[in-house]
Amino acid sequence: MENNSSKDHRLSGRLYFLKFETSKINECLDFISSKQLHCRGAQHYGFPDSDRNTIKATGGGAFKFADLFKEKLGISLDKVEEMGSLVSGANFLLKSVPSEAFTYMNGQRNYEQIDHDDLYPYLLVNIGSGVSMIKVDGDGRYERVSGTSVGGGTFWGLGKLLTKCKSFDDLLEMSHQGNNRMIDMLVGDIYGGMDYLKIGLSSTAIASSFGKAVSENKELEEYKPEDVARSLLRMISNNIGQIAYLNALRFGLKKIFFGGFFICGHAYTMDTISVAVDFWSKGEAKAMFLRHEGFLGALGAFMNYQLVEEFPYPSHLPGDDHKKPDKNLNDNGIIECHVRVSN
Amino acid sequence: MDDLQLDQSEIEAININGDTKNITDEEDTENEMAPPIGNSIHRSSSRPQLDLSGAAIQGNFEERDPTILLPNQSDDISHLALDIGGSLIKLVYFSRHEDRVANEKRKLSTKERFGATSSNRRSFPILGGRLHFVKFETSKINECLEFIHSKQLHRGAIDNAVIKATGGGAYKFADLFKEKLGVVIEKEDEMDCLVAGANFLLKAIRHEAFTHKEGHKEFVQIDHNDLYPYLLVNIGSGVSLIKVDGDGKFQRVSGTNVGGGTYWGLGRLLTKCKSFDELLELSQRGDNSSVDMLVGDIYGGLDYSKIGLSASTIASSFGKAISENKEIEDYRPEDISLSLLRMISYNIGQISYLTALQLGIKRIFFGGFFIRGHAYTMDTISFAIQFWSKGGAEAMFLRHEGFLGALGAFMSYEKHGLDDLRVHQLVERFPMGAPYTGGKIHGPPLGDLNEKISWMEKFVRKGTKIFAPVPMASPRTTGLGGFEAPSSKGDALRSDESNLNVGVLHLVPSLEVFPLLADPRTYEPNTVDLADPNELEYWFTVLSEHLPDLVDKAVASEGGTDDARRRGNAFARAFSAHLARLMEEPAAYGKLGLANLLELREECLREFNFFDAYSAIKQRENEASLAVLPDLLMELDSMSEETRLLTLIEGVLAANIFDWGSRACVDLYHKGTIIEIYRMSRKKMQRPWRVDNFDAFKERMGFGDKKPYFRHKRALLFVDNSGADVVLGMLPLARELLRRGTEVVLVANSLPALNDVTAMELPEIVAEAAKHCDILRRAAEAGGLLMDAMVNTQDNPSEKLSSTPLMVVENGCGSPCIDLRQVSSELAAVAKDADLVILEGMGRALHTNYNARFKCDALKLAMVKNQRLAEKLIEGNIYDCVCRYEPAC
Repeated sequence: MENNSSKDHRLSGRLYFLKFETSKINECLDFISSKQLHCRGAQHYGFPDSDRNTIKATGGGAFKFADLFKEKLGISLDKVEEMGSLVSGANFLLKSVPSEAFTYMNGQRNYEQIDHDDLYPYLLVNIGSGVSMIKVDGDGRYERVSGTSVGGGTFWGLGKLLTKCKSFDDLLEMSHQGNNRMIDMLVGDIYGGMDYLKIGLSSTAIASSFGKAVSENKELEEYKPEDVARSLLRMISNNIGQIAYLNALRFGLKKIFFGGFFICGHAYTMDTISVAVDFWSKGEAKAMFLRHEGFLGALGAFMNYQLVEEFPYPSHLPGDDHKKPDKNLNDNGIIECHVRVSN
Repeated sequence: MDDLQLDQSEIEAININGDTKNITDEEDTENEMAPPIGNSIHRSSSRPQLDLSGAAIQGNFEERDPTILLPNQSDDISHLALDIGGSLIKLVYFSRHEDRVANEKRKLSTKERFGATSSNRRSFPILGGRLHFVKFETSKINECLEFIHSKQLHRGAIDNAVIKATGGGAYKFADLFKEKLGVVIEKEDEMDCLVAGANFLLKAIRHEAFTHKEGHKEFVQIDHNDLYPYLLVNIGSGVSLIKVDGDGKFQRVSGTNVGGGTYWGLGRLLTKCKSFDELLELSQRGDNSSVDMLVGDIYGGLDYSKIGLSASTIASSFGKAISENKEIEDYRPEDISLSLLRMISYNIGQISYLTALQLGIKRIFFGGFFIRGHAYTMDTISFAIQFWSKGGAEAMFLRHEGFLGALGAFMSYEKHGLDDLRVHQLVERFPMGAPYTGGKIHGPPLGDLNEKISWMEKFVRKGTKIFAPVPMASPRTTGLGGFEAPSSKGDALRSDESNLNVGVLHLVPSLEVFPLLADPRTYEPNTVDLADPNELEYWFTVLSEHLPDLVDKAVASEGGTDDARRRGNAFARAFSAHLARLMEEPAAYGKLGLANLLELREECLREFNFFDAYSAIKQRENEASLAVLPDLLMELDSMSEETRLLTLIEGVLAANIFDWGSRACVDLYHKGTIIEIYRMSRKKMQRPWRVDNFDAFKERMGFGDKKPYFRHKRALLFVDNSGADVVLGMLPLARELLRRGTEVVLVANSLPALNDVTAMELPEIVAEAAKHCDILRRAAEAGGLLMDAMVNTQDNPSEKLSSTPLMVVENGCGSPCIDLRQVSSELAAVAKDADLVILEGMGRALHTNYNARFKCDALKLAMVKNQRLAEKLIEGNIYDCVCRYEPAC
């Protein structure tokens, strides 16, 4: 499919999204190698020579593993600034991919139609190991306005110490089955089961996360790991939700999008974050999530290739009917699209 | 170990008040051991009556504010309020104190010595009552009940034994209180109490709020008119953020469930610590970089400066616990504790800042048990506020932070009297016991002085050094022995345990701001700022070196008995402990100035029942000086008026050399008799003095080129030492003023301090001097100082107007220095007609008030008897003189 401009070429194809654990980077390298992804310059028409031995990358490890990529694949990693990648990834998804954003309440996804003309400004909360809160005003226009060190790393780190869990996913799964009342001090625990209505707290509100671990003579081993995981998840989600809401309030932002590996499309974290935002905003604000939330950075890095001027038009994508997302629209789903290449 | 709360009420009770007209006889005999409130109950049950100590104050001066009387109102005064939290029980209790002469024998002997001279003098009780702050662990509630019982604190309310309480435990333990003490707990709303407590503290206590950055504590002067709105962040198990708009006007605007309970709960699970304090202590030795993922870990040690994060910024709390194949046992509990502490403190700081920002609030105060005066916690929160606000906001903390709720509960009694108190009516004292235990009790309360002394002695028997009882970091004891093993400070992480810094609040309704201060708001009594570490060390050394001599004097003043020796040693230990504590943390007791230190010493002496260590010396010197006074007066009378004025000022300066507070002068004493030294000294008084405004003063007095003759209406003479200083220096000056028709008020200490002359001693001295001088005699009669002048001058002022009166008033303090923000109402009253203030001596004219400005003419006279002070203050040398005259502002 040729564009009008002689210098532009439109390529049809699919964007694939894949993840590896950083600790298993060799699997990742093998995958790249087996798919010859690093040799794309040779395969595709029109890619400039200068890009041939370079892969765009973002994230802290782009420095750390640069040598490894060089050694194993013979390619250089071109480090793309992380936050810029996140933002351009998010902007692309929100503008170009229908049914990208959704709210999550009571186990239900409700896709939100985002008005492209009224997208900005929004707050992008990226929950990785830590949390960055980015106010996005437009393409390439953004500012990290806040953040917190209590993020996914805290959940996984503390969770690992407390439950001996072997993986993040296991920990999340466990949290699913737990009951935080065993460990958290609830408002009702303090006020004898009564709601402390005067200050608008119900008796089931958490007064103090892990607060019950104080008063009881129980050792760590005597708590169910599930309960611990649950309590931890609620603590962290609640906190992120609160700080995000306060920041949105501060800048008058109506939309808050949550992304990053902590979310992982995991129903449970989405649920707790949503509850937190709902709680702190007294129902005024809703947490929104992105289907491709784990790939904002990678997508942004991809868009950083000079040749990619613009990403495809929404109309060319499947799933136009957002009420009925099809199979392809699973999280991390493949996006069928066109790339306009300028040369 | 029985570190305990002491009942200061009994032990330090003293007043030199010689006037008993306001005290009923049966009260006078109050046993030192008696519970402080026993009297009130007894009296009120027999017949309701007003507390006369209050009435006496009002009787003399109609301008007094009657609301001040509330703390003295006996009948239904509330005595106890509680805040029963999950981990600590906080008590605030009130003990009434007329502070009559505690030592009846002493008073009698004083009377014998002086005769009934002072019976007509206006005099007031010094103290109205005291607020005590005490903590117990909730798990040891029985100790708390025993304490209340032993002090009979629950008997405060007469018929309906109701005790106000707040905190979650107020419900839980209601039955227990009913059963054990027979009292009904009346639950007060927690947040109401917090706010009421905070409002009171911020308005009534001068050095209550402080910032804490990088280990440095700085007190913040809060403008009471600009206090609201503020954000109160109470960090208990959870965190409440309360917007306070005024008394009783507040709203809980936010909160977080990540609070003290989270720290302690998670910390306990992760480290197996047995107590909150243990966990906190661990954090002091921790390094969070082994647990937390730092920005530098992610970006290869480079700062991610683009977003304003340094390499050491925590990117992810506990983020390192992910990637490594380590079990919980492989991490140091210290590191885990620190990481947790930082995570939670930062988080609270961040949420607080964002909330304040949203509400447009400038001031954020943090309180609650999580803080506990722990330096690192405060630093972390401060850092978070500073970081997130980019320096636009500051975190502030409260010295009494743990007691907000209990104080508020106390104030929920209908009659508590605290509302009416102003800053100048509160004096905070730090008696032994309080600094160690912060009112935290680990055993039965000390019953009497003897037990207190035994308690002091124990430290020594344990082979610790004299300052060992002062915990280097904190007595983070949960029970025993916080003192045997002072913990390492762990680098810069210092816990200063604010609960050590809470003293006993003395409510002194009769104190007022000296009305002649030009600007009370900017007035700072201390000339020497001990924030300078060099100054601090110097004065600590001076005081330490002087200590043995002082103990000797004190013991000798009590006849050198074994008991006195034992008390003397206990005093030395106690005072040294205070010094060591303050060396370690100069701001521990509030902003520290030299005046505070000197007063602390006097208070400490009184605490160990040394009421007048220099009594014998003072008496001897008074007698010796009075003996040579007639000769001096004759000499003076032979001079011209103009020459005489100079000679008189020279005389004041010369006589000021007699000072037992000065090491150099004490040495001098051994080299000659008083009059020899005096004459030698005066001879050396050649002008110009180092600071010499004498010409201006002389001109003002009408001797310059520019007449006319000016006569001051009333002069206030703040006198200093006994003996030559007052007799040969100030009295002749007073006499000269009287002769010129200026009324003279001699302003002297209420309580003894060193060899300073007291208001109680002055009438006797004046009477003795008056025997040889008609001017003094007539003036003293007119001023009601002489015992044969039985007419009450206050009631019938017109009868005595024939002669210019010489009066004596007490200044309201018992220190060698004077803080003019807190003087007796008596002094404040006489000051209203005064147009000349003469401050004499180092303590009142140099250490304090050297820079004070007055609404009236002021003359500051002193000989500098300290080389360092001479260099610092006037760029001069020891024995240089200061004659600083400042016309009315």
